[in-house]
Amino acid sequence: MRIACLLVSDLPLAAELRAHPELQGVPLAIASGAGSRAEILSISPEAARGGVRPFTTVVHGRAACAELCVRVASPALERAARDALLDAALSTSPRAETAPLSSGIYAAEAAVYIDARGITSLFHSEAGFAGALIARAEKLGLPAVAAIASSRGVAHIAARKCTGAPGATKVLPPGDDASFLAPLPIDLLNPEDELAESLTRFGIHRVRDLTRIPERALVTRLGGRARKLLNLARGEESAPPISTPSRTLFEESTDLDAPLSHLEPLLFVLRGMISRLVTRLECRALACGDLDLDLDLEGGQRDARRIGVASPTLDPLVLVRLAALSLESRPPPAPIESASLATTGSPLRSDQLDLFRPAGPTPAVLSQTLAELEALCGPGRIGAPVVSDSHRPDTYAMAAFVPNSGAGSLTRDGDARDGDAHAGLSHGSLAVRALRPPVPARVQASLGSPEWIRSALANGEVIRSAGPWRTTGGWWSREERFAFDHFDVQTSDGLVVRLRLDLITGCWQIDAVYD
Amino acid sequence: MSVRPPSPAIETLLRDLGPSLHRGASPTFPPTRCPTGLPGIDRLLDGGFPRGRLSEIAGSACCGRTSLALALLARTTAAGEVVALVDGADAFDPPSAAAAGVDLARVLWVRTSEVLCALHSTEHLLAARGFALVLLDLAPGHQTPARIPSSAWSRLRRTAAGTDTALVVLGDRRLTDTFADLAIEMRGAKPRFQGTPTLLEGLDGKVQLVRNRLGPHDCAVAVRWQNASAA
Repeated sequence: MRIACLLVSDLPLAAELRAHPELQGVPLAIASGAGSRAEILSISPEAARGGVRPFTTVVHGRAACAELCVRVASPALERAARDALLDAALSTSPRAETAPLSSGIYAAEAAVYIDARGITSLFHSEAGFAGALIARAEKLGLPAVAAIASSRGVAHIAARKCTGAPGATKVLPPGDDASFLAPLPIDLLNPEDELAESLTRFGIHRVRDLTRIPERALVTRLGGRARKLLNLARGEESAPPISTPSRTLFEESTDLDAPLSHLEPLLFVLRGMISRLVTRLECRALACGDLDLDLDLEGGQRDARRIGVASPTLDPLVLVRLAALSLESRPPPAPIESASLATTGSPLRSDQLDLFRPAGPTPAVLSQTLAELEALCGPGRIGAPVVSDSHRPDTYAMAAFVPNSGAGSLTRDGDARDGDAHAGLSHGSLAVRALRPPVPARVQASLGSPEWIRSALANGEVIRSAGPWRTTGGWWSREERFAFDHFDVQTSDGLVVRLRLDLITGCWQIDAVYD
Repeated sequence: MSVRPPSPAIETLLRDLGPSLHRGASPTFPPTRCPTGLPGIDRLLDGGFPRGRLSEIAGSACCGRTSLALALLARTTAAGEVVALVDGADAFDPPSAAAAGVDLARVLWVRTSEVLCALHSTEHLLAARGFALVLLDLAPGHQTPARIPSSAWSRLRRTAAGTDTALVVLGDRRLTDTFADLAIEMRGAKPRFQGTPTLLEGLDGKVQLVRNRLGPHDCAVAVRWQNASAA
C-alpha cells in the first residue's frame, strides 16, 4: 500500500490567509478570542520576525510588534479550509480521507490521506504526484507539504518532518519506513501525555529504543495504548483501505467581525466566498448549481434561502449577481452576523449545438437574465406557459423555461399554413386575450341569452351571440368545483368578447376578448 | 501603363453571375426577417418582421392584432427558435396560443402589469441575445395605459440594433412614434357569426402597412381569422 499525506501545519493561520489574501506579508497573529488577554495561537513569519511568540497574550504580542494585526480564530474558516484540502486531494485521486484531528503540539495541523497506488501512471513518479498535490493545495490558497510512505502514520510523520520548508515533499521508498522512523524522537509519534511521561521515565527517547522492547513486555507495563504506538513505530497499519468519500456538499462559511446591515459590504464578503467555492469546484471538475445561502442574524434569527441557478456555471460574477438579486428582492430582516454558502456541485453541462436548429441564449446569460426578470417582475411570473390538463377554461400553468427541451417540429421556409387559393386573403387562427381577473358585468338576459351588457370593458346591446357552452368540473371539491355557461357575444360598441355566467354564484363576467 | 482588356473567361463569369455581383461598394445585405407564416402578410412585409429592428402592430380591441402576434410566435417557434413574450397586459392565453400552433416550450412568458417593468424586462431580454423574437404586449385590458416616454423607445431601438432579435410592440394605438422601422395597423374587423347553432366563426379584417423604413408602405392586405373551436 502507498499512502500520501497532504499536510497544512498551521490551519488557523492558513484559513485566515485563504479568506483574506490581503493579509499576506503582514505581521499577523491568530488569537483564541477577542480582547487583549486572549492567547495567541498562531503567528505569521512576519510576526515571528517582529518578536511575537505564540501562546503569549495579545497585549504581549502588540508590545513586541506595534504593526501586529490580530484576528480571532474562526471555526467556520478552518472548516472550509479543511474541506478545501480534501478537495485538493480528491482532484488527484478518487480515494482520499481527512486525517483524525491531532492534539497537543500538533493541534493546529490539518492533514488528508490519499491512496497513491498506481499513481505513477498519471504523474510519472511519486515525487511528481507529491508536487502536484502541493500545487493543487496552493491553488486553493493552502500552503501544504506532502509525503508518501507505506502507511498513514508514517506518511503523516514524514510530512511533519517537512514542515520547516513550504512546498517540501518527502517520498519514502517501499520498505524504508522503519529505517526512516528509527532515529526520530518519540514525540513525533504524538503519544498521549501520560504515555509520553512513562516512556521518558523508562529512558525511551527515540523510536528505535521503542522498537527494541518486546511487545508483550511493553503492553504489560504500559497498556494497550503502547501497542498502537509500537505498531506506528514499526510502520504497520491495521486501518481499512481509504474509500471514496460520499460527501458531495461544498460549503464556505465566514464569521463576520461586526454585524452587517447593508447590502454592499455583504456582497463583498459573498464575492470572496463564492470565489473560493468556485475554485474548489473547478478543482474537482464540477460547476456550481443551486446555492443555499444561510445567514445568521442578530437576535438569533436565521435567513435561509436557495438561489436558483438555471444552468451550472463557474462564473463567479454570475453567481454574485444572482445572490445580489435575491438579497435585493428579499432583504434579511436583521443585521447579519455570519454567512454560509453551500452547493452540491453539478457536472458542467456542455450544450450540444444542433446543426439544424438555431442556438438560443447561452445558459449562463439566460440564468442571469431569468434571475433579473424574476427580481423585476416578482417570483412565479417568469417561465414557459403550459396548457393545464383541466376542463376549466381559465386555468394556466408556468413551468421552468428550458429552451432546448422542446422537441418541436421544424418546418421548412416554403411551408405555409395558409392554403387559401383566394388571392389577397390571408387566413390565420383567431386568438383570445385573457382578462385576469375577469371583468364583472351586469347583464340583462332573456330566456338565458344576454341582451344588454354593462361593464368596464364592453357596453351596450348584444348584437349577435353564440352559446351557451356549459363547462363544469371539480365537483368533488368545494374549492375546485366550477360551472360556467359561456357566450361569444358582439356588443354594439364593436367588441367581441367571451361572456360567462358563473352558475354557482350567479355572477356574469367577461373572461376574454377575441382579438 | 496601359490597361489590359479582361480575358474572355472573366467576361463569361461576370455575365453568368449577373445582378448578384456588386462592384466597388461594399454590399448591403437586407436584414433577415421573422415571417408570420401567412403568405399575404409576409409579402406585405417583404418577408416578415425585420430582425435587429423595432416594429409595431397597432389596432383597437378585436381587430386581430393578438391573432397576428400569435401567428408570428407560432411560425418562429416552429422554426426551432426561442421567443420571449413580455406580457404587459397579462393577457396571454396558453390554450389559445397552443391552438394557433405556438410551441409553448420555446416561449419565455414574462408576466408584468407595470409598463416600466415591461420595458426594463424587454431591455434585459434583448441584451441576453439568442431570442429570435421579443414581443412586447402593451395593449391594455380595461385599464388606462400609462404614458411611455419616447426615450424608452430610442433606448430599446438602440439595444435591438446589432442583435439578431426582432422586437415587436403590440399596442392599441401607435406607441413608438417614429422609432419603429416598420409599423402596421389592424383595421376594420368584422366578426362572422354563422351556422346553426350560431357559432363565432371568426373575424375579417385588414392589415395596413403604415410605415416601412426598409421599403414601400401604404399597402394593405385582407385577412380572415378563423375560430379554431368553431371548426
